[in-house]
Amino acid sequence: MKNKTFKRMLAVMMLVLSIFMLFPYFLMLITSVKTMGDIQSPSFTFIPREVVFLNYIEAMSRGDWPRYFGNSIYVTVITVLASLMLNSITGYAFARLRFKGRDVLFIIALIGLMVPRQVTMLPLFIVLKNFPLVGGNSILGQGGHGFINSYAGMILPYVAGSFGVFLFRQFYLNFPRSLDDAARIDGLGRVKTFIYIYAPLSKPIFATLAALKTTQTWTEFTWPLIITSKDHMKTVQLALTMFRNETEIQWNLLMAATTVITLPLIIVFLCAQKYFIQGIVTSGIKG
Amino acid sequence: MKIINTSCFREKLNRMIVKRQKKSIYSDNIGYLLIAPFYIFLVLFILLPILMNFFLSFTNYDMRSMDFIGLRNYINLFDDEYFLISLKNTFVYTFFRLLLAMVLGLCVALALKDKIFGLKFYRTSFFVPHVTSMVAASMIWLWMFEPSHGIINQALGLFGIKGKLWLFDVRYAMGCIVTVSLWKVIGYNMVIYIAGLQSIPNYLYEAATIDGANALKKFRHITWPLLRPVTFFLFVTGLIECFKVFELVMILTNGGPMNATTTIVHQIYDRAFEDYYIGYGAAQAIVLLMIVATITIINFKYGNQGHELDVG
Repeated sequence: MKNKTFKRMLAVMMLVLSIFMLFPYFLMLITSVKTMGDIQSPSFTFIPREVVFLNYIEAMSRGDWPRYFGNSIYVTVITVLASLMLNSITGYAFARLRFKGRDVLFIIALIGLMVPRQVTMLPLFIVLKNFPLVGGNSILGQGGHGFINSYAGMILPYVAGSFGVFLFRQFYLNFPRSLDDAARIDGLGRVKTFIYIYAPLSKPIFATLAALKTTQTWTEFTWPLIITSKDHMKTVQLALTMFRNETEIQWNLLMAATTVITLPLIIVFLCAQKYFIQGIVTSGIKG
Repeated sequence: MKIINTSCFREKLNRMIVKRQKKSIYSDNIGYLLIAPFYIFLVLFILLPILMNFFLSFTNYDMRSMDFIGLRNYINLFDDEYFLISLKNTFVYTFFRLLLAMVLGLCVALALKDKIFGLKFYRTSFFVPHVTSMVAASMIWLWMFEPSHGIINQALGLFGIKGKLWLFDVRYAMGCIVTVSLWKVIGYNMVIYIAGLQSIPNYLYEAATIDGANALKKFRHITWPLLRPVTFFLFVTGLIECFKVFELVMILTNGGPMNATTTIVHQIYDRAFEDYYIGYGAAQAIVLLMIVATITIINFKYGNQGHELDVG
């Protein structure tokens, strides 16, 4: 009996706290449909005095938002696909194939896991700027602008995620050896074994890593900020800060734009929650 | 005679097996080909930049000319009041954000470990901020902290409390940044702690109940010690995460007011990409790398402690 009351009290308390956690989103939504006059009036109301959905259209016409969305989607999709392919096959090679120096190579790969991106962003910028033979650069990497203001500049540094390799390796280490033997008896080579047996069996881990990588790429701010300077290469995250830089911030437009860039990921999250949580937990417990 | 024969045979067989194994160990040379694409990316975009960073930190490169200046950059760091403030700010931020996130994360995890009414909703609402971008989160909180029409000052006004300047006030700015960061991270810590709690076998609690232990004792003698690896993990990753803080600062305050919120990475960004003192920024980045490396090494040394307590 006592236990039951306790549980009920706990539920009420958690409900209150959950509302607190969600409150910023609520505020974002109501602000996004208010008029500026309503926002600036001295008496605050939760319910907008006048609901203006036009804010969304106006916010999206401040700058080339379809283009920003295209940029973000393109960068995210390519990064996720490329890194999934690269990480899975590399993880498989590190877990299952035997070649000289494998473990040393794996440990070196883990350095990528330990060194924060913030430490390397500066030289990385120089590497991409002076990349030979791209963006008007000579063979010595001089003269042009390299990968600056290009999709490749935003994507390339994020393709080789050591974490993904680590995750796939851990996963494949637990596969039974007899699987390889069976494949070998059936005449499959190492690569075909991966394509026909390992890859189809690792859908959950693909989904998990895809969830992690999508969140990471979609929400990334620092790197696009550094590598792009032209308006037409902006991602949605960068574009959002344009509202901030105005002399008088149009809160309703800012909140409308914030809603638009936040909702897609939240919807994806709600649909594939399992994989998001899985990703977090595997990275936490096994990492 | 017979015995010797068998052992002889066995030895021969063993040698054969070893020979075969040796031969097969290095037989998958296709492995090099499979890891090659990944490795090219790794070398070009992670390993090379790390080495370059060391190199650059001994130069005065400014996008145009470059001279070796030895340790000058590092010596200058100690006279750079902005950098010293940023170190102090980063430590203050790290202390509060790390401690509070772990305590609150654990509390929420304990509350949401077992089935209660609406469990899924609660867990989701705590976790959703984690999938919101730092920029979006910053924008929403920027609006909440807004001094004249923001919701927080409006709410304080209801109780007759005079509104504060929040992000524009030297005293409160860092507190605001910690708050936003906590809002974003509690859900993450909660998820990890819940996973940790669920791996603790139930029979331990049952046994403790039979022995007459109360809830507090159970926590002290079962939950807390068994959660130690999880706590340690969250501590180390959180520590590194905290030292890297940048986006929040960049968007909410841009280091202001009066450098009250500038952090190490914010300084690196300012020096390197605003002033183009690449060499100097690289030296700051090396300091950050050293801090993170120290934490990682400590993690490797002591990280496995507590695993021997594993029962499951």
